Amino acid sequence: MNTNNNNIFTRIVKIAVIPVGTFLIVFLLCSLKGVKLFETTGNWILFFRAAASVMLVTFALSLNLNSGRFDFSIGSVALLSSVISASICNSAGLSTPVMLAVSMLAGTLFGMLSGAVYVIVKLPPIIVSLGVALFYEGLAFSITKGYGVSFVANKELTSFPSVVNYLLVIGIGLIVFIFLFDYTQFGYDYKALMSGQKVAVNTGIREIPNAIGCYTISGALMGVVGFISATNTGTIQMALNFGSIGTMFTAFLPMFIGGFIGRFCNEKIGYLLGAVTTAFISLMYARLNVDSSIQQIVTALILVGFLIYLNNENKILELVTLKNYINRRKNQ
Amino acid sequence: MKKVWAIILSTAMTISLLAGCGSKENSEPADAGSQQETQEQAESNEVAELDMSQKVKMGVLVSDATTAEALAFRSYYTEYIQNQYNVELVYSDELTDAAGETSAIDTFITNNCKAIISFSSFDRAAQLEQCEDAGVYYAVATGTLTAEEYETYKGYEHYVGAIGPSLDIEFETGYQMAKYYLDQGKTNFAIFGGAIPYYTEMHIYRAAGMLTAMVEAGGEGASYKGATDKDAIIGQIFADGAVETGAIGSINLAGYVGGYDMDDAWFGKCAQMAQTPDLEVILAVGNGSDFFGTAAGEGVKIASVDAYASSYGEAMEAGMLDYLAGKFSASIGPVFIASYRAALGSPVRDGEGNALALSQGYWVATSAEEFNTYFAVDSSVEAPAYTKEMLDTLLTADYEAFEKFVSQYSFEEIQAMK
Repeated sequence: MNTNNNNIFTRIVKIAVIPVGTFLIVFLLCSLKGVKLFETTGNWILFFRAAASVMLVTFALSLNLNSGRFDFSIGSVALLSSVISASICNSAGLSTPVMLAVSMLAGTLFGMLSGAVYVIVKLPPIIVSLGVALFYEGLAFSITKGYGVSFVANKELTSFPSVVNYLLVIGIGLIVFIFLFDYTQFGYDYKALMSGQKVAVNTGIREIPNAIGCYTISGALMGVVGFISATNTGTIQMALNFGSIGTMFTAFLPMFIGGFIGRFCNEKIGYLLGAVTTAFISLMYARLNVDSSIQQIVTALILVGFLIYLNNENKILELVTLKNYINRRKNQ
Repeated sequence: MKKVWAIILSTAMTISLLAGCGSKENSEPADAGSQQETQEQAESNEVAELDMSQKVKMGVLVSDATTAEALAFRSYYTEYIQNQYNVELVYSDELTDAAGETSAIDTFITNNCKAIISFSSFDRAAQLEQCEDAGVYYAVATGTLTAEEYETYKGYEHYVGAIGPSLDIEFETGYQMAKYYLDQGKTNFAIFGGAIPYYTEMHIYRAAGMLTAMVEAGGEGASYKGATDKDAIIGQIFADGAVETGAIGSINLAGYVGGYDMDDAWFGKCAQMAQTPDLEVILAVGNGSDFFGTAAGEGVKIASVDAYASSYGEAMEAGMLDYLAGKFSASIGPVFIASYRAALGSPVRDGEGNALALSQGYWVATSAEEFNTYFAVDSSVEAPAYTKEMLDTLLTADYEAFEKFVSQYSFEEIQAMK
């Protein structure tokens, strides 16, 4: 019984160490500067928006990347689906839930199309996704004649940002994602294909519908990301020449953190905690008004540092815990 | 008899040959000849009849293809100018660096473009040199060269000139914007610095104008980080790459955000600044309403510098934008005519044979009605601010007439010209 309790306690500590540690560091840095991390409602909204948005992008990216499909087009799917939903809902005077539904539906279709192109042309996914990204960016540009979409004056569509709404997005997104990939045939097939495609195919699993399904789900998630981004300011700025790719890079750090935390709990919860970690960092940047160049350097250092740790984990742990030294002492 | 005729004919030929090269300019070096020619044209106020029967291909360099301003300019060129004149305007891709500019100019030259109008400013000097070497005319649109650059390049045969807001006009734009609110008794301000972190001159000058107005209104002893005049404030912003918040005498500069990071942290900074307690006015060196409109607290006024796009009209109607200093799309008409004339062999030069260096300003709207009046003209592709009839007067204008035309850039002056 004690051993079980110890195991659970150890797991909880390992799950929480990164987000809690990040929070403490961020809190300390802000305190040193005399700044409260969460001072206004706006700070809470920023935190939960960042957590919701990054979590969904991380789900969307990991979905294909874990199967070896590097998808550069997810940012453009978010852009195009939000352009379509915002244009329709703003001109027709539709409500925020309708905009969310339209954005998700559009994202689903564009994701499916992206997957279909990949399986039809049979080119490496990096090349296909770059082409798709350019096509979707161009399409969004053409639809808006380059002006983007501005609905700052639309009180209804810009009313979405709130802590409760973002918590709902996080909760529903997490539950649906866990359900789809841990409790359905599609999810079982996905995992089987991920761990050994040839064997999985030989057992009768159809990899093409599964791949298209992954792109479709990824598209739906990015539709929601586009919606969150658009309703934040009431504007959608156009991106050309791979300008939308940046969205994808926000998910790398939380994905690696999620992968690490996923050893001790469900990987999807790990992604959420990874997103929460990056949300703390984003909030700190905003609260301390950190210059963008310094932000980039810090974020890159954290990412590289974490990758170095993951690749040399045993050596670092041995060094930190003095394991070799203690063993030698014991042997003597 | 034959001999006599031969002597007469050869004498006549020699005289006519000498007469052809007999002016005092004959002694000028060959490469200065064309410059001397244009000087003479300017002096005599006589411009040769232009042969516009052949289609002229011109390149347009752009570093921005998605902002309201860039799209309005493009629309004026492609939907109006190209339909009115015998020209083909070829646009570059959205350029991101100096290497891209060089490559795009190479492409234009290969495609037989006779002139290049540049909206891209990563390396103006390199663009100019490249065009001069290739014998292609080059003009700067919506900007000007620095005084030093102009001194260097004003005599280049293929440098047409620059027409656009000078840095002094940019300074004045920021100054007038801040003064508009200071005169209303506002004391709590925030500044959106746009591309100041990337050391974009026009944004630095606009911000310096705002700060100078605050120093003047701040009472005795007011200064911005110890700087009290225009040059010192500009120098301070250049040194910092940012604007520092704090008291400027009795004026409180409560917030500042720069850059266009567009990530969660940046949007967080924008929202934070817009919700600063007691904030009265957000002065933006670029687009303000799109980034701060939804986040700004009740009663916070937003002022922007950009162009006349429909979204700004909606923002003004909704009370989210209070003041807009906007470039009008047809403002690039005169630089087109100057480039077109150069390509047709009739460049505009001043009395000393130098290229154009003319400044233009903005249309300022402070109400939705005013905005709508300006927008109706600016967005029209049938009767824009500068129509063909108006631009045609520049085809034969000398430098002074050209300068006078460009200097009358206010909405009212342009309407009066029609």
